[in-house]
Amino acid sequence: MLSGSDTVYVLRYFDVIGRAEGCRLLLTAANASWTEEHPEWPAEKANQPFERLPVLVERSNGNEWILCESLTIERYLARVFGFMPTDLKQAALQEQMADQQADLLSAFFGQLTATGDMKSKQIDEFNTLFDRMVKEHGRILSRSSSKQHLFGDQLSYADISLYAFYKLFIVYLKCYQSDIAEIVKSKLTPEIINLILSIEKEPQLAPHFSKCDTMAAIFTAKDF
Amino acid sequence: MSSSNVSYTLRYFDIVGFAESSRILLTAAGVEWTDEHPEWPQEKPNQPHGRMPVLVEKSTDGSPDFVICESSNIERYLARTYGFLPTDLKQAALQEQLRDLMSDVIALFTPQVQCKNEEDKAEFQTKFDGLLETLIKVQTKLLKDNNNTGRLFGNKLSYADIVTYGFYMTILVSFAGFKADIVDVIKPKLTPEIVKLISVVESDPLVVKHKSRGGSLVAIVSA
Repeated sequence: MLSGSDTVYVLRYFDVIGRAEGCRLLLTAANASWTEEHPEWPAEKANQPFERLPVLVERSNGNEWILCESLTIERYLARVFGFMPTDLKQAALQEQMADQQADLLSAFFGQLTATGDMKSKQIDEFNTLFDRMVKEHGRILSRSSSKQHLFGDQLSYADISLYAFYKLFIVYLKCYQSDIAEIVKSKLTPEIINLILSIEKEPQLAPHFSKCDTMAAIFTAKDF
Repeated sequence: MSSSNVSYTLRYFDIVGFAESSRILLTAAGVEWTDEHPEWPQEKPNQPHGRMPVLVEKSTDGSPDFVICESSNIERYLARTYGFLPTDLKQAALQEQLRDLMSDVIALFTPQVQCKNEEDKAEFQTKFDGLLETLIKVQTKLLKDNNNTGRLFGNKLSYADIVTYGFYMTILVSFAGFKADIVDVIKPKLTPEIVKLISVVESDPLVVKHKSRGGSLVAIVSA
């Protein structure tokens, strides 16, 4: 671990799952000293370096350091707390999964906001990308020795990022599109569902579920 | 890092698109590399995520090809491997956050072009303009704070400099195909500090031999 024991973190975001769940899970899994702040919005917009959230504030030895952009924050925390491989190739294989997930989120909003002829085209694109991604997750999982982790036999950045992604689609995005959870659930294989539920049971993540529900109750026997 | 037994193929379309920063990083790294333009969509199933760009790293030591995708992932991998991103985690993160902000700006472009409804189109345009303005403000401040050398950080060519150059290539060259007046709209928003960065990157000894299919960005922003 590269952070001192007197280092504390503040995660500034809205009080929603949104784009910050990966950051929350990483800070929790790391057993870091951290709190969450929900700035008055848009009153606090001008006080953020990129006028957006999330923002990570790191305080150590009287110094304050600030970082923006959800994926950069995730990769930084993953490296600081040892969830990202130090080997550059292995790290790139994990990072590209997070980037693919970000593309899927863009595609979701693309098909949501499209109108006219573009709508069905965007929906097709979203479904194609999602199905391909699930296949890729399955391929990686099939090569993993432990079916409870994507890489190796310990919780990694890729596992945390994948969990946050599926939680986003299954628990949160219904506030934008009411049927998205069912659509996504129907695309998942038993192996992926098993992976999601295994990650959720990691002892390092236990404190996270004192504040929110697990997804275990969402997957019933007929999903497997 | 020695690159004498490593070579790269960058698979993408024969356009500037989202690959220019990777091309410049490969050139600046001084490694052996080529562009490959796979038959499309025939070669889609043969790519890891069914999309491009894709980077293939080949080694003469007999190890299998190493293949990665996602444009910003390729850029970070090359930048770390060839020393354009600092090894210090905080210093690297401060550069990466800029690239992620640029990705967000790019993501706001397509909806405004694809939208048929004039009201929604205008809303997307406002979002794109607003975030681009924020980006320019952030970049300009960094450039000014770095003694206006045309470099975002430190005193030599960095990942941040290269991906910033690549970003302006994407929006001023690639996007012009979708929105004819984009250069006229964006050029006046560029600060002198950003124009200087574009010039400093394009003329850097490590970059100068890169002949972009988009032509000279300096010429575009100076015209």
